[in-house]
Amino acid sequence: MKKRNRLAALAIAAAMTATMFAGCGSSDSASSSASGDTASSGDGYDITFILSLRDEFLSALEAGAQDNAPDGVNLTTQDAQNDAAKQQQMIESARNAENDAIIINLVDPASAESMLESAGDIPVVFVNRYPTDDSVLEAGKCVYVGSDELTSGKFQGEFLVDYFNEKGQTDITYVMIQGTLGQTSTTNRTASAVKALEDGGLNITLKGAELAGEYDRATAIEVFSPLISTGEIDFDCVISNNDAMALGVIEAMEQKGLNPADIPIVGIDATADGRQAIKDGKLAMSVFQDPNGQGKGAILAAVNLIEGNALADGTDYEANEDETVLWVPFEPVTPDNVADYDNR
Amino acid sequence: MNAKQKQFISQNGIWGVLIVLVILVTILTGGKFIKPANIETLFTNESIKGIMAFGVMMAILSKGIDLNPGSLAALVAVIGASMCTMNETTASIIQNGGKPMPAIVAIVICLALGCISGAIFGSIIAFTKMPAFIATLGAQLMCRAASKIITTAPVSNLSDGFRFLGKAKVGPIPMIVIVFIVMYIISAILLTQTRWGKSVYAVGGNDQAARVAGINVEKTLILVYVWCSFCAALGGILLAGRTGSADPSTYGLNYELDAIAAATVGGTSHTGGVCRISGVLAGILILGVVNNGLVMLGVNDNYTNIIKGLIIIVSVALDMRKNTKKV
Repeated sequence: MKKRNRLAALAIAAAMTATMFAGCGSSDSASSSASGDTASSGDGYDITFILSLRDEFLSALEAGAQDNAPDGVNLTTQDAQNDAAKQQQMIESARNAENDAIIINLVDPASAESMLESAGDIPVVFVNRYPTDDSVLEAGKCVYVGSDELTSGKFQGEFLVDYFNEKGQTDITYVMIQGTLGQTSTTNRTASAVKALEDGGLNITLKGAELAGEYDRATAIEVFSPLISTGEIDFDCVISNNDAMALGVIEAMEQKGLNPADIPIVGIDATADGRQAIKDGKLAMSVFQDPNGQGKGAILAAVNLIEGNALADGTDYEANEDETVLWVPFEPVTPDNVADYDNR
Repeated sequence: MNAKQKQFISQNGIWGVLIVLVILVTILTGGKFIKPANIETLFTNESIKGIMAFGVMMAILSKGIDLNPGSLAALVAVIGASMCTMNETTASIIQNGGKPMPAIVAIVICLALGCISGAIFGSIIAFTKMPAFIATLGAQLMCRAASKIITTAPVSNLSDGFRFLGKAKVGPIPMIVIVFIVMYIISAILLTQTRWGKSVYAVGGNDQAARVAGINVEKTLILVYVWCSFCAALGGILLAGRTGSADPSTYGLNYELDAIAAATVGGTSHTGGVCRISGVLAGILILGVVNNGLVMLGVNDNYTNIIKGLIIIVSVALDMRKNTKKV
């Protein structure tokens, strides 16, 4: 009897494993190779793209790289699942497999130097997350493609400065919903928003402490709702490190019977839901970070490195003077231009 | 003080801790904390993790653990949301062309999925004698990955029917709090009034003795994980309902740890066989008061977590002392 039970358990486990593999199979085909028969074509570049984590934004970036890979490029993408050590292993594997270039979306921007060491002589493109120590960038060998995190917060701050100038208000109290504490993007987005408010001549006071919303809608609702539990709004605006958390704030206010349109709430990312909230007048503005453009820039920059071309060749963007950085600009999204972003 | 009074204090001391904490936070916030509107906020915020705690509590009582609730909640949330979204989603492999399924059907499917998942992993734990930690760790990885396979982007714009449990209000009371209270009552009945509840105590205390006493240990354990997964699935439905969205990568992340913390602070012993449902409720509320009160006081999130960590360690240290004295 006991033995039969064990067999049954094994059978169940085997069946489950089989189902899982079947499920994986369908998505693998979408994520592993971008252009079909590449080995036979002339160039035959092997490029590995290592994502820090396959979330919504980076999935879009991944798709941008795949869709824009030139013919003859065999692009493989891997997910380091937010683990810097795993990322390093994947880089070493790509080097050992004698790839022609590696595209890295750093888990930890401070680890850029050791990641480069692991890559050996292979050209490296850092995408989306700027290395903390940018002296590692070197024309023709190691470049960065992405946006300047310090400008996203700046756009939020400048929007709020204009808003309060128009109202003639100089003393403002703000709520800050941060992403994951300690991440470079969190620190930069928060600091640049605050700096833009100060540069704009506003006297600003932080309401309570800076809240950690983990870039997550549900967590943002949790940490924000105690601030409005009395049913009153005793602050002038809400600054959020991304749209998901800004939408959480809007949800929390609506559940309390408060009107989110009463004060400006600003986000970053211009996600589909974020854009809808802008159209509905609930979210005052967001900042568009172009995942498709970053993915496209990264794969083209990798090819340019391999072939020794100018960094910006074939892209819509401009490289800096040193030929080490290809900036893909952030763009502020407001009710006036939100419709332009629907199909981007 | 006689033995009976001593026992009462040692069993209900945790409510004393809660009351002291509430008074302290109330004074520090100048009375704002205790206002009904804020108490409503507190209960609403703790409901989802609290319901998961009622599930995890059973697993811990049986001398096991469940690390899967957070990921299972995410999986259920994205499946439920995909069935009930009013958008035409391109990111989700579950397609409905923007026509939401009747909410009740979707909810039943979601809960059934939870129960099936629990039955599978419960069977693995019961029949292979695999440590529950390992089996549910595997389950956690698989459920999180499965939810990311189903959709790469958050699924939002859900039908009001599907959001009813998470968002609606009955008079002044949020539906989500009513669900929480109902789940508390059901848990209490299951734990103290049913044969299965008593079997869980027995299996957690000593599974060999329980077997000799004629208890079907395997069936008891499987039902423990079915219950636990049912609670997690309900949590996932509430999560999607409350937020109006379901994000495969961030939803329910580390919720199981908060649920385990609440059950543990509430005096559920990890050596098995010891658990009081009222204690678990107090544990949930203690962590809730800390979460809510420290935001009102403007305390940095990092310090909030240090305080929560201290509460968990101190409460278990006291609990260990209490339990070793008996031996």
